[in-house]
Amino acid sequence: MTRKLFSAIVLVLAFGSPVLASDALVTTQWLASNLNNANIRIVEVSVEPGVFERGHIPGAVNFRWHTDLVDQVKRDVISRENFEKLFSQNGIGNETTVILYGDNNNWFAAWGAWVFSIYGHDKVKILDGGRNKWTKENLPVTTRSASVKPVTYKVTRENAHLRAKLTDVLAVAEGRTRSNLLDIRSPQEFSGAVIAPEGVKELAIRAGHIPGAVNVPWATIVNPEDGTFLPKEKLREIYAAKGIDGKKPIITYCRIGERSSHSWFALHFILGYDVRNYDGSWTEYGNAVGVPVNNPSGTVWTGK
Amino acid sequence: MAIYGGYPPYIFCRIKKKKCKFMKNCSYLRYLFAGLGIVLLVAAHHYISNREDLVKEAGFTLVLGATFGVLLQRSRFCFFCILRDFFEKKNGAPLTGILVALITGSIGYLVLFGTWVPDPGAGYLPQDAHIGPVSWHLLAGGLAFGWGMVLSGSCVSAHLYRLGEGSVEAPIALLGTGIGFLLGFKIWNALYVTTVAAAPVLWIPAFAGYGWIPFIQILFFATLIIWLLVKFSPATAAQPEKNLSLRLIGEKIFVKRWPEWLAGIGIGVLGFFSYLRVGPLGVTSEIGRQARKLGNKLNIIPAELEGLDGFSGCRTDDTSVIISSNGIFILALIAGSLIAALLSGHFRPRGISLFTVGKTLLGGVLLGLGAMISLGCTIGNSLSGISAFAVSGWLFTIAMIAGVWSGLKFFPGKRK
Repeated sequence: MTRKLFSAIVLVLAFGSPVLASDALVTTQWLASNLNNANIRIVEVSVEPGVFERGHIPGAVNFRWHTDLVDQVKRDVISRENFEKLFSQNGIGNETTVILYGDNNNWFAAWGAWVFSIYGHDKVKILDGGRNKWTKENLPVTTRSASVKPVTYKVTRENAHLRAKLTDVLAVAEGRTRSNLLDIRSPQEFSGAVIAPEGVKELAIRAGHIPGAVNVPWATIVNPEDGTFLPKEKLREIYAAKGIDGKKPIITYCRIGERSSHSWFALHFILGYDVRNYDGSWTEYGNAVGVPVNNPSGTVWTGK
Repeated sequence: MAIYGGYPPYIFCRIKKKKCKFMKNCSYLRYLFAGLGIVLLVAAHHYISNREDLVKEAGFTLVLGATFGVLLQRSRFCFFCILRDFFEKKNGAPLTGILVALITGSIGYLVLFGTWVPDPGAGYLPQDAHIGPVSWHLLAGGLAFGWGMVLSGSCVSAHLYRLGEGSVEAPIALLGTGIGFLLGFKIWNALYVTTVAAAPVLWIPAFAGYGWIPFIQILFFATLIIWLLVKFSPATAAQPEKNLSLRLIGEKIFVKRWPEWLAGIGIGVLGFFSYLRVGPLGVTSEIGRQARKLGNKLNIIPAELEGLDGFSGCRTDDTSVIISSNGIFILALIAGSLIAALLSGHFRPRGISLFTVGKTLLGGVLLGLGAMISLGCTIGNSLSGISAFAVSGWLFTIAMIAGVWSGLKFFPGKRK
């Protein structure tokens, strides 16, 4: 009893409350008291340009998703060489734990976690609730850039299996492979009523979803108030209700693979399922020739 | 009454057909309206601050805009009048105000760049600074803008603050600006494909570092100021020093034109505050956005404007929100100017001739067209751009000055 109480106190002291969904997440309180922790590097990956510069978590460095984390010419994630350079320049060694956070419910922060995992850096955690929760709690921000000492980072192993390609997805759609397909877009995008959320440019020629996919919109797995992930058991229930229980490999996708990284993070890091992210997503599949499409809305191409 | 007697009867007096004496019969009305305006602004600030359904920093933007309006009105910060004073009256003193603003702005931007982009050669630009693609389109846009200034009587920012002074030309010129934006949108795709797409975006520190080039720019402006003051300052009759009374201080603040250096420092600091918290100062993006909305609705401009929304500068995208940050800024600017004009007695609408209407409208069209194709006006490109050490800001400004100079030569006429 005493020991239980003691460990509970230790837990509260170490992580504060509320209790974390998983050790892949850190709370705002934990991060606020670990800003000077030499073993971590805080990285912001935000969608909106300019938010980092006008105030970020002290000590954080800025990764620009559209230049730092992708290949700017061909559609691909950052190359291995550039990844090593990026980490080295920002003082992230092979033993450094990266704490990621960002705006928009950590979408691109999760995307960063996925890219880091592909290059074998799985010492990666996400600040639960992200930028939004941090600023809502009036925790400190700064406009000063962190002073980082460059190190030498080497990719030791690549985890290519965390990434699904069109052929992998097609194999599932045509019934040649047994996997769960998880579409995390809004119900309207899933049904084919719309091709992309309003105001979004990158479009597909066809609307709908990949045959066999189930729809669990990303927002269903977070607390609507603060954007934190729901508890692990709740996540398990939500996915199980849609037939995703971790017994089969899973492939997540959305429109460009960004929001789906968020669900991929939950499935991979919190639930520990075998899951790949399909970053081609609907902007690749919905434009591919000759692939089967499921369109419950019945929208057809009219040339407009 | 020597101090206030120089002004014609105020608008409210004219309505009542009464003679006006300071603080007698009707002039209390303008104080009443000014007071009401201040109360409304504060109420608006309270209402829009920290609202999640509005753009970020809405309250702060309102304060910035109102302050900018007061500064522009109190110092008559009009790029055209300043350049005309220099070219026609050989008076360089007003021009020093712009140069002080550029020095202050450059220093402010350097302070931020040092921490936002520690290594200027790293291959990325400072976030959302007004740094645009560089090619001949800036020269064409700058020239058109300069001519537009001559024809319409000022640039976009000055028309906005004159709206607060009750100017009748200003709304006509701003309407023209909207039309000019629509024309710009019509030719944009062709311009983009042939020119802008391949034009380099040049940021001076990216190839020259922070070492000495930025200081050369600041030193250059400082030298210009000294040159202007020595060579082009008009002889002023020495005024007897009066003892500072409360009344004299009030007059200096609320009625007399503010000195150039004060306006320059004020505007430079404002630009720095704006870039730090919201984004670079600019006044045309909301006009462009509204024009684009209308153009889309009437289906008279291309639905897709190639590459346009990818450039930083006076952005016109995001037609979904009712009011953008820039919209709040310019509305507050007009309100600030109106309050300042009411207090100083500059709120004086006058009738204008049909010829002036046509000339002003045409000038406005040139302003809009020029601002659209060069992605900014005298505030966005000249002030924010040069402060950010953008080559685009320099080129636009040089062409704009050439436009004003040639416009003054070729479109002679009586100007007030």
